[in-house]
Amino acid sequence: MAVAERILTASATLADAHYDEAESLAPEQLTECQLACAQRRFSTLRGQVGVLDRLAASSGVRSVDNVADLARLLLPHTVFKSYPLHWIDDGRFDLMTRWIQGLTSLDLSAIDCTGLETIDDWISYIDLHSELRVIHTFGTSGKLSFIPRSRSEWRTGGRLVGACLRDWHGRGSGRDLIRHHLPLICPSYRLGAGAIQRGVSSAVELFAGGDDNCLFLYPQTRFSADVASLAGRLRTADLRGDPDSVVLTPSLRARRAEAVARERTRERDTAEFLEQVMRRYMHEDIYLLSVWPVLYDWATAARKLGSRGAFGRGSILHTGGGTKGRQFPPGWRQQIFDFLGVDRHYEFYAMSELIAGAPCCSVGNYHIPPATLPILLDSRTGAVLPRTGRARGRFAAFDLLAECSWGGVISGDEVTLAGWDDTCQCGRRGTYVEPDIRRFSAAEGGVDKISCSAANDAYERAVGFLAGSAESIL
Amino acid sequence: MKPDVWRVPLIVRGKIIEECTLEFPGAGRECRFLTPDASAHVERLAARPADMADLIGLRAVDVFDYLDGLSERLVIQRNPHMQHAYEMARHNSMLSDDMLREMYAKLPLLFRRDFVQHRTATLLGGDQLDRWVEPPRFPLARTCATMRAFGARTLHIVAGNTPVIGPITVLNNAITRGDAIIKSPSNDPLTTAAVARTMIEMAPSHPLTRHVTVAYWKGGDARVEHELYDPRRIEKIVAWGGLGSIRHVTGHLQPGIELITLDPKIGVAIIDASSLKDTAALLRVAAGLALDIGSMNQEACFNTRLVYVVGGGVPDDIALATRLAELTFENLQALPPALSTPHREFDPELKAELDALRLLDLGHEVIGGRHNEGALIVSHCRKPVDFAHRLACRVANVVPVRTLCEAQTALNNSVQTLCVYPESLKERLRDSAALHAVQRLVSVGGAMIDPFLATPQDGMELLRRMCKWTVEERPAGARASST
Repeated sequence: MAVAERILTASATLADAHYDEAESLAPEQLTECQLACAQRRFSTLRGQVGVLDRLAASSGVRSVDNVADLARLLLPHTVFKSYPLHWIDDGRFDLMTRWIQGLTSLDLSAIDCTGLETIDDWISYIDLHSELRVIHTFGTSGKLSFIPRSRSEWRTGGRLVGACLRDWHGRGSGRDLIRHHLPLICPSYRLGAGAIQRGVSSAVELFAGGDDNCLFLYPQTRFSADVASLAGRLRTADLRGDPDSVVLTPSLRARRAEAVARERTRERDTAEFLEQVMRRYMHEDIYLLSVWPVLYDWATAARKLGSRGAFGRGSILHTGGGTKGRQFPPGWRQQIFDFLGVDRHYEFYAMSELIAGAPCCSVGNYHIPPATLPILLDSRTGAVLPRTGRARGRFAAFDLLAECSWGGVISGDEVTLAGWDDTCQCGRRGTYVEPDIRRFSAAEGGVDKISCSAANDAYERAVGFLAGSAESIL
Repeated sequence: MKPDVWRVPLIVRGKIIEECTLEFPGAGRECRFLTPDASAHVERLAARPADMADLIGLRAVDVFDYLDGLSERLVIQRNPHMQHAYEMARHNSMLSDDMLREMYAKLPLLFRRDFVQHRTATLLGGDQLDRWVEPPRFPLARTCATMRAFGARTLHIVAGNTPVIGPITVLNNAITRGDAIIKSPSNDPLTTAAVARTMIEMAPSHPLTRHVTVAYWKGGDARVEHELYDPRRIEKIVAWGGLGSIRHVTGHLQPGIELITLDPKIGVAIIDASSLKDTAALLRVAAGLALDIGSMNQEACFNTRLVYVVGGGVPDDIALATRLAELTFENLQALPPALSTPHREFDPELKAELDALRLLDLGHEVIGGRHNEGALIVSHCRKPVDFAHRLACRVANVVPVRTLCEAQTALNNSVQTLCVYPESLKERLRDSAALHAVQRLVSVGGAMIDPFLATPQDGMELLRRMCKWTVEERPAGARASST
C-alpha cells in the first residue's frame, strides 16, 4: 500500500508501515493526505460527536478542504475539563457520563453511573461496560481533564510506538518488540487511567506479552485520579485560606493516606525494587520504562557499588518527563547509560490529547509523526501561522488516529515549530518541535506586569508557586 | 508616533540618567523599552538615615505649595514627559485610548492644594508630621510623652494596571515626607518617571524632589535586590500585586523591614432577586452591574467579577438571573468608550474556557464572549465557574443561589468591593462582610473608586503605616523640651 493511502486511511495501516515511510513525501504532499483523512473523519463523526457538531455549526465549516477549514474546527484544550468540578464532590457521575458523551461517538447511554462515589470508580465502571478507555490528566489546580479514547485506539497507539522503537534509528535497526517481547520493567504504578498508566497497559500486552513478563514497583496499585485531584484541590483551597471547602469522604481520606504513606517510603522502595530487578534480569535485555530522576538515583546508587553495564546491550530505555525540577550534575545522562549498559534511549513529546507522541532525535528536536497534522497558532491572536520556515506559537494539531472522538485540538503549549522547508540536523525530513516547549499557564503574566486586580496571573502564579514546592507523585 | 523601542529614564534623587543600555519587554503586544542598568547605580538608589534631615524642616504648607505647583505642571497639554508616558501607555496598557486620555487629564487634580489638604487631614489627621505633639495623658501614667511622625525610607513596588498608582505613590510619599524608591512595573514603566522628571524641572533641589527615585529593574534581579532589600538601606516595603511582586521580596525579608502588602483584590455583587421583580429595578441593576463589571475594562481591583443573585423563594429565579445577565450584557456593550471598550488583548485562556462552555457544558450559559466583547456566564448549576479566578476582560459570572448564606461563601479577604442591591441589604450585610474581611461595600453601580474620596484602602490606613511614629518620654512633671 502506498504511503499516501496509508495516511489517508490512518489508524489501521499507519502502525503497520515503516516508521519513516512518510519522510518520502514533501511536507505539502503529507499535509494533503492528512487533510483528506481529516475530511473523512469529519464526515464520519459529524452527527456522532456532540462537540464537533456544535463546533461545525458555530464556525460554519461544512467540509475540510484546507488547513484554514481545519483550524476552525479545533477544540480548545479546556473542553476536556468543561464539567463543573462540584459534580465530582456531589458524586454526580451520571452527569459526568452525560458530559463525556458529548466528546465521543461511543454510545454510553446504557451506562448507569448513579451511586458511584469516586473518579476512579467512574473510570473503572466505564472501562468495564464500554469500549471507552478514558484518560485523566493531573491539573495542578485539582481539576482534571478527561479525554476519551477507545480500546482500539490504545492498541493502535501502542503498535505505532513499537514501529518507532524498531525503525527510529534506521529501518529495522531496533528490536521489533511486538514480535520479540522483552521483560518490561517499570518503577511506577501498574494500574490507573493517567496517560502513562494507560500507555503502560498497552506495552504490557504488546511488548512484554502479558503481566508475567513484567516487574512494577507497585504491581497491584492504582495511580488514583482522586488522589491526584485531591492534592491539587487541597493546594488551591489552602491558598484561598479555605481548606475545609474540600469534601473528604472516608474512602477518599483512606486513599490519600495510602498515597502519602507510599510516598514516604518511595525512595527506599525504589532502591529495593532496583535490587529485585538486578537479581532477576542482570545482563539480560529488558524494556525499561522510567522517568529520569528514578534512573539518576539508580545510577548514583549503582556507582557507589561499582556496578556498570547492568543489563543486556539489546535493552531498550523508554523515558521522558524531564527532571521534575531536580538539578543534576553535568554528564548525568551518560552516568545513567553507563550504569544501564545502553547507549540509546527513546523520549517523546507527547500530550494526552494526541495518540502518537513525537520522538526525540539526537539533536534534541521532537519529530511530528505522520499521524499528526500540526497547526501553529499565533500565541496571542490564535491566527493560523504560515506553514513555512520556523516559528513560535501555540501548538495545535489534528490527530489522524482519533476514531471515537474529534482529533482537532489546541494544546496549552507554546512551541517552536520548524522543518517545513529544511531538514533537521539529524537528517530527518518533516516538521519538528524544538526543545523549548513551555506551558502557557507557566509563561503567562510575563515579567513584572503587576496588577492590584486579582484576576488572572496572580492566582495562577500562586498555584504554580505552591505546586512547585509539592512533590510530584508520578 | 510610536518609536520601535521606548526609552525609560532612571531617576535617582533629582538626577535623570538616560544611558539606556538594557531592553525589556512591556506588557503590550510588541511593546519593548530601554532603560539604564539600575544595578550600576545601586549604591545611590537608597538614602542614608542622615540624608533624611532635609525633610524634617518641611511643614505641611510647604508640601501643599510644592504639590500644587506640580499639579499645574502635570497638565498633559503642556508637559511633554506626560505626553510621552501617555503615548507609551497607549501601546502598553490594557486600557483603551479614551480611558487613558481621561486618566492622564485628571491626574493633576490629585496634586491640587485643596485635595491634598483634604487627603492629609482625613487620612492622617493632626500635625504630627510637622512637630512633636503631646497626646493626652491618663492620670495613672507616671510618664509623659510627646510623639512625632516621620517619613520612612520606603521601597514601593507599584502596580501598573492603571497609570494612577505610581503618581499616587509620589503623592503619598510627599505627604508623609518619606524617601521613596519606586520600582516601576513593566505594564507602566514611564508614568511615574514622567512625574519625577517634572518635579526635577520645577524644583531640582527641593527635598521632596530629592527623595524620589524611580527605577525599573526586572523583578528578582539579584544585582539590585540583594543590595537594596537590606534593613540598613530601607525601612519599609509597600508591595502592590501579591505574589507576583513579593515573591522576590520574601527571599530578602528580615527583621527591620516592614512589609506592607496591597494584595490583588476583586469585586463581588450580591443582589436580592425579589427586588428585581419590578422591571424598572431590573433595568437599573443591569445598568449598574454593567458599570461595575466594565469600567476600566475590568482591569481594576474593584471590578465586579461574580454576581450572586439570591433567590429566596422567588419562583424561576434562574430565568430571572438569566434575564439580568442578558440586560447587563446589553448595557456593557453600550458603555461609552471613555469608560469601557472591548478588551484589546482578550485573555486567550479565558476565551478557551468560554468556548469550551459553549461547546460542551450542561451547567452554564454564555451570553456574548464570541470575540473580545466581554461575556456574562450564567451558572444554571448554581455554583461559580471553576475558572472564576480568571474572570477578566469584561467577563462576569452570574450565580443564582437560594440563600444569602450561599452567596456569603464568596466573601473573603480577597474581596475588596462588595456591590449590594437593594440598599436595605447593605446594612444587613456590612458587619458580617467585615468579619469575612471584605473591605468596602457599595451600591450597585458604585464599584468604581472615586479617587477624590479619602478613605482607608484595602482595610488599611496606608498613610499612617507609611510613617514612623517616634515617641519621646519623660517623667510626669518634667518640663517638655521645646516642640
